[in-house]
Amino acid sequence: MSILLISDLHLSAERPEITAAFFSFLEKSAARAEALYILGDLFETWVGDDDPSPIVKNVTTALRRITKRGTHVYLQRGNRDFAIGKHFSRETGCTLLPDYHVANFYGEQLLLLHGDTLCTDDRQYQRFRRLIRCPPVLGLLRRLPLSVRRKLAARARLKSMASNANKAENIMDVAPDAVVAALQRAGVQTMIHGHTHRPGAHALQANGKTAERIVLGDWDRQGWVLTAQPSGLELTSFDIEPLE
Amino acid sequence: MITLHTNYGDITVELDFEKAPLTAANFLQYCRDEFYNDTIFHRVIANFMIQGGGMTADMAEKPGRPSIENEADNGLSNDTGTLAMARTMDPHSASSQFFINIADNHFLNHKGKNPQGWGYAVFGKVVSGMDTVDKIKGVATGSTGHHQDVPRDSVVIERVVVSDAYADR
Repeated sequence: MSILLISDLHLSAERPEITAAFFSFLEKSAARAEALYILGDLFETWVGDDDPSPIVKNVTTALRRITKRGTHVYLQRGNRDFAIGKHFSRETGCTLLPDYHVANFYGEQLLLLHGDTLCTDDRQYQRFRRLIRCPPVLGLLRRLPLSVRRKLAARARLKSMASNANKAENIMDVAPDAVVAALQRAGVQTMIHGHTHRPGAHALQANGKTAERIVLGDWDRQGWVLTAQPSGLELTSFDIEPLE
Repeated sequence: MITLHTNYGDITVELDFEKAPLTAANFLQYCRDEFYNDTIFHRVIANFMIQGGGMTADMAEKPGRPSIENEADNGLSNDTGTLAMARTMDPHSASSQFFINIADNHFLNHKGKNPQGWGYAVFGKVVSGMDTVDKIKGVATGSTGHHQDVPRDSVVIERVVVSDAYADR
């Protein structure tokens, strides 16, 4: 009996070994779990549910295979794949979750989120996020031709890389106040997020009690999985093999 | 044609000497040298591919000849039933290991002449024995050392037969 949580795979045609590792993970681990939660940035970019790129097709098939076999797959959007829509969720059999979701794992309440909203010191990003996520803007973006959306995504990625290179390390991590505030709003003592690519577990105080923040890792040379069982939570990593 | 006789049945493949001359010749040479005899399919991922041609049943790596140039820019696509060369992160590092695509894995195709976009070189296809491939893709797998998709019961290439049609290749 287990529930698995992953995030930040950043799947792209440029890193087929990560996609291969994801397929292996789905078939071997996720297919045997009760549920799989993907906490954002499954894809490096998401230009729209109508994107016919091969990687999206293959990932759709792979996800559908395990949802059909009975594993519940829950998906949150990340800062890269924020435009994932209902079509993808229907095609894969995944359930799309809101940006903040309180889940109940074996009697324990946990707050699940991608984590980008916790990086409140990065004001420039938060402004961009508010703009891009507001329904009229997102709606407008979705109506643009696919080729235009592809160009916009590529340009946004370059801009983000250039500006992140100049940002101090600490503003790209979560702001402690934002973490406490999120736990208070949700009324829970444990949160799980990704985004920062700094896997680990941190103790803190929230709601006048001890609280815990668990950070999932991004998939690169290693993959990261958080396993929830009735006995507790365990964050583990494994080597990602090239297709050699 | 070349037939791989495995303990799960036979797989017959045809090589594309026109579009992938170096890779096809390389594979043929390994077959003639009986290099693949007693190697296993050591990485099996259902819905993706089955990979073999470089490890023995005790998971020892079999040293091959020097690596070859990547011919993934030949226009052949990683479709179901095609044969492609495995490699490391270095695009031009294929030697003996190959894989059989068990899905249309177009994200493995050539996109550009850079380390990220080179893709995986297709050099042939299965012409009979996809039922054997289907049997292999369904085997139970687990981790052995740092390999994560190793069949629990070895899938062994016992013997390779090169048909007379390839005598002058």
